[in-house]
Amino acid sequence: MRNDSNKWDAPAALTVGHTENGVALTPIELTRQTLISGPRVLSQADWSIVGWPGIAPTPPYALSLRRDRVLLVDGPDMADGWQEDTQRAISDASDAYSVFDVSGDRAFEVLQRGAELRLDAESKSVARLLFGIGVLLYRVNTEDQFRIHVASSHAEALVKSLKLAISALRSAGQGNSRPEDALSKTS
Amino acid sequence: MTSHRTTRAALIDLGKPLRFTFDGTAYQGFEGDTLASALLANGVRVMGRSFKYHRPRGPLGAWVDDPNAIMGVTLNGRSLPNCPATTTPLEDGMQARAVNAWPSARFDIKGGLDLFHRWLGAGFYYKTFMWPDWHLFEPMIRKMAGLGDISRNVLEDYCADQVHDHCETLVIGGGAAGLAAARAAAEGGQNVVLVDDKPVLGGGVHQLAGVEDFAPRDWVASEAHAIEAAGGRILTATTAFGIFDHRMVGLVQNGPFGTAPRLHRMRAARIILATGALDRPVTFASNDLPGVMTIDAACEYLARYAVLVGKRIGVLSNNSLADDKLAMLAEAGAEVVRLNPADGAICALGRKQVRCVAQGRNSHKVDTLLVSGGMTPLVHLWRHAGGKLDWCTERQAFLPGAAPEGMVAIGAAGGTFDLDAALAEARAAGSGVPADAIPSRYKLTPLWPEPGSKGRQWIDFQHDVTLKDVELAARENYVSVEHLKRYTTLGMASDQGKTSNMAGLAAMAAVQGRPLPEVGTTTFRPPFVPVPIELYHGHHEKQLWHPLKRLALEQEHREIGAALGEYGGWLRPGWYGTGDAKAHIRQEILTARNAAGLFDASPLGKIEVIGPDAEAFVDFIYYNTISTLKPGHIRYGFMLTEGGIVMDDGVIARLDRNRFVISCSSSHVGSVRTHLEAWRQDGNDPDRIFVHDLTDHWATLTVAGPKAREVLTDLALDMDLSPTAFPHMTMRETRFAHSPLRVARVSFTGDLSYEMSIRRSKAAELWQALVAAGERIGAAPIGVEALSILRAEKGYIMIGKDTDGETMPHDLGFGVPRQKKKVAFIGDRSLHSVKANGARRKMLVGLTVSVGDKALPTGAHLVEGTPLQSVGYVTSSYDSPTLGHPIALALVENGTERLGESISVWHMGETRMATISAPCAFDPEGARLNA
Amino acid sequence: MQIFPCPFCGPRNETEFHFAGELGKERPDTTQEVAAPDWATYLYAQRNEKGPVREVWMHLTCSELFVMERDSVSMEVVGSGSLREGAE
Repeated sequence: MRNDSNKWDAPAALTVGHTENGVALTPIELTRQTLISGPRVLSQADWSIVGWPGIAPTPPYALSLRRDRVLLVDGPDMADGWQEDTQRAISDASDAYSVFDVSGDRAFEVLQRGAELRLDAESKSVARLLFGIGVLLYRVNTEDQFRIHVASSHAEALVKSLKLAISALRSAGQGNSRPEDALSKTS
Repeated sequence: MTSHRTTRAALIDLGKPLRFTFDGTAYQGFEGDTLASALLANGVRVMGRSFKYHRPRGPLGAWVDDPNAIMGVTLNGRSLPNCPATTTPLEDGMQARAVNAWPSARFDIKGGLDLFHRWLGAGFYYKTFMWPDWHLFEPMIRKMAGLGDISRNVLEDYCADQVHDHCETLVIGGGAAGLAAARAAAEGGQNVVLVDDKPVLGGGVHQLAGVEDFAPRDWVASEAHAIEAAGGRILTATTAFGIFDHRMVGLVQNGPFGTAPRLHRMRAARIILATGALDRPVTFASNDLPGVMTIDAACEYLARYAVLVGKRIGVLSNNSLADDKLAMLAEAGAEVVRLNPADGAICALGRKQVRCVAQGRNSHKVDTLLVSGGMTPLVHLWRHAGGKLDWCTERQAFLPGAAPEGMVAIGAAGGTFDLDAALAEARAAGSGVPADAIPSRYKLTPLWPEPGSKGRQWIDFQHDVTLKDVELAARENYVSVEHLKRYTTLGMASDQGKTSNMAGLAAMAAVQGRPLPEVGTTTFRPPFVPVPIELYHGHHEKQLWHPLKRLALEQEHREIGAALGEYGGWLRPGWYGTGDAKAHIRQEILTARNAAGLFDASPLGKIEVIGPDAEAFVDFIYYNTISTLKPGHIRYGFMLTEGGIVMDDGVIARLDRNRFVISCSSSHVGSVRTHLEAWRQDGNDPDRIFVHDLTDHWATLTVAGPKAREVLTDLALDMDLSPTAFPHMTMRETRFAHSPLRVARVSFTGDLSYEMSIRRSKAAELWQALVAAGERIGAAPIGVEALSILRAEKGYIMIGKDTDGETMPHDLGFGVPRQKKKVAFIGDRSLHSVKANGARRKMLVGLTVSVGDKALPTGAHLVEGTPLQSVGYVTSSYDSPTLGHPIALALVENGTERLGESISVWHMGETRMATISAPCAFDPEGARLNA
Repeated sequence: MQIFPCPFCGPRNETEFHFAGELGKERPDTTQEVAAPDWATYLYAQRNEKGPVREVWMHLTCSELFVMERDSVSMEVVGSGSLREGAE
């Protein structure tokens, strides 16, 4: 029984974007997120399915989460519950995830601080751990715009981690992390 | 003080002089120096005091192998303890101080301890301070032990950046072999990363006259440029400190002094180990005197820093490689005196530095004694990765043997000490095109410690372990190398025995008359060099160490003065208001009992189970029968482990025929979700059951108290709130603020209570409406602390607090499903084990105390018998504001059969009496609950 | 840090996984009489093998329960397969 209010920063306004070292962290407002599970949900080609390191098209699109689950982004309003004809379980999860974009030339370097990520290693699922926190990670529009969905209650921690990682780019130099050309110094 | 700086072209920048101090004296060095090279250039020999005997010490090595020159360094107000002088790049304004020495390394007040060395051998502390009690002496000994002082000031912004990376070929070591291998691999089209721990590439190459017709520096530069031109990356000042599973290599990249290093977690498909080899010291009398140094170290000081360590140098070597290097010392102007190890035992003489070296009847005046006992390949990383070692008799060294997958050792690390052979081997390894091996020209005469010889002969310089200590350990039967290490602390200092391990096990082999390889090596473990703890935690500290989940309404709670704390992984209001917490909590309880409490219950689980088999599945998951539950109805139940132990409790609501919502405890959401998923996929048809955890989508706000209905009436929801239309343990779905709203009549306080769930983004709107409605009837927000007492008054349990790892449902008064439930459920068979049917099960009860008595301490034992035995313990205990007296819950053997009995409560030596009662102390008839 | 292959997601870092048990345990039919030793074996007996093992793991980020073959000494991962496909 202890008052720890001062040990924890009050939640920062996540509605404001943040740009540093050429990387932008932008909150994204989506109209709707719908959790859809079913034995054939990935083959029922109602929407384009997005995996890693896929680039999502204009919504609606469906994020592949598991062999039998997608998260439909900005899809139609659907009734919650079991849909007998399509054999699908449907739940509105619009507020379950907070959504952010990390974009810029060095956006991938930021994400590499939170997970062992490879653009050349495809994955059928966009679900993974980033900075130890469960997220859905994929790209939208372009090669260097990454979108992250994170459980709303963990958004604060993820944003903090991302901001620190973006700051760390400064000392990491541009691209090549060699601190200085040690040889040229003496030649 | 004479300058030892020569005119040799080296890797320092004479155009950039740097000022620094050591033990208070000002000196000058140059950009490119290390602390050690700059001090040696200034003629400073004593750079530290030894750990145990406070013997004067100077550098033995020129890089990571040096055990002696350890300093506390301050620059711009930032202090770091235990910096190795040989690896700390000099910066302008550095203030260095020798550790373990006061007032200075040269005049150390504890230097006198050395006089007692006869009594301070291995095991001295273990043997001496046994009687009467080690703990009596421990504080004093601890104070004397250890190296360096930690600054009391926290270093701000000292936070390691951590980055994951990968490559096809990682080359570790930027010497001749590493550069050649990396170039060959990069030019072969591979994604290559080359790391080298020094700020300047080249390894030992700079000691050479030339490499393949180039000056060493030009050769290094051209290799480096070729690597980068082919797309390879080079990281200097970066040490590979460990190889972990599946070729994950830990790289520590050092920046300027006082900045936290960067951690690279490098995943490499292939690793080429080109870490080189160390020149090992020779064991003879007083071999620890300042001025005794390895030949390779002296040559590095000259080649890299233009420092000639001595003017008149004695040389003791047993191998061809060291012999070949001596010319550069003579060229630089030193007078070299060769000593042959075969001519008899050597003894170094001098007080604070070597002055003379004696061998038999001969003695030579020298200011420096350089030694080489042969090369020891650096195989630490090879062993981290699980590679084997083979003993090589010709080289008298352990060499990489059977390789770990995807790894190869080349150059000196693999025992190839000749440059041409190393380059050929490196290019073959890099390109994948095999080349013929060039026979080794390395010649060596074994030269190992000789037990029984005279004088104090140091094996481990940093931990002050001598040959006599090894002999003593052998006499006392600590003959296994691992025992030898622990008993004498040989190899346990911060240098991890880089120069001492081989000498130590050779000494043990000699003492026992066993072949050296039979004695074996100790285990090599990461990190290869000391790294700060900050490297490992990076940003995972403070609020990001274990980030708590945050409520949608945190800002609203803060605005009305919530005292926030961690409850089950969430940051939640414990109570509201500043000042006397207990008074606030008491007032919140009274508000909840007299009017209503408004409680943010959002962390409560909201896990939906959906699908054609959902009903059968929840029947299997729950202890209680759920299939009989009608839509719109709610049931309280337990989930058990297969061992029959209560894992979670909570309510489950049925929304329709094939859809349920499980409202598990706030702190168990993750484990319950995993539990459901595991059973869904193992033993059930996963195509007919789906588990959606929507805990984060729904915020849950509770109104609990006799006037709760008035609060809800004020919201003007489209529903009939009368007790007959909406009774206890039912759920209704409606809308609020154009969003779906679920209202459940469940209670954790024992009063009329409505639990309302709405999407997170609408929580604030609902909360404000509730607060406004509540104000009119005297309702107010309450925190977790008030709720904990309210529920205890009613005898409601919290799993893990009022239950333990042995509690089964029938211990909590829920015995019916155990006897009656027909279908299979998790844990069913365990409820009928001998243990489950045992006569002395701990059961949940209440405890009451005499009028005027204080509350019982939580955790106090309930005791009886002679001698006294614990038969249970207090699980929850509070002063009940509602009842005006203390209440308590407890687990006690056969508790339910002992209601009304008196029992002793023991705590911290005091015994009190209490009476066993029913757990529920408030409204046992449930009139208020069903109101 | 090991890399484990989720049959659905592909190779991922070991921090995303949780050990669920040794492969081959079948839950006794508890609607019938189950002898105490059989139940105890089901609950507590582990083979705890040294060398090649077949185990059930869960990939926490996608919740897939799957079978993994690996070597408990060398940490080499041989492969993985869906528990469902294995069960069919």
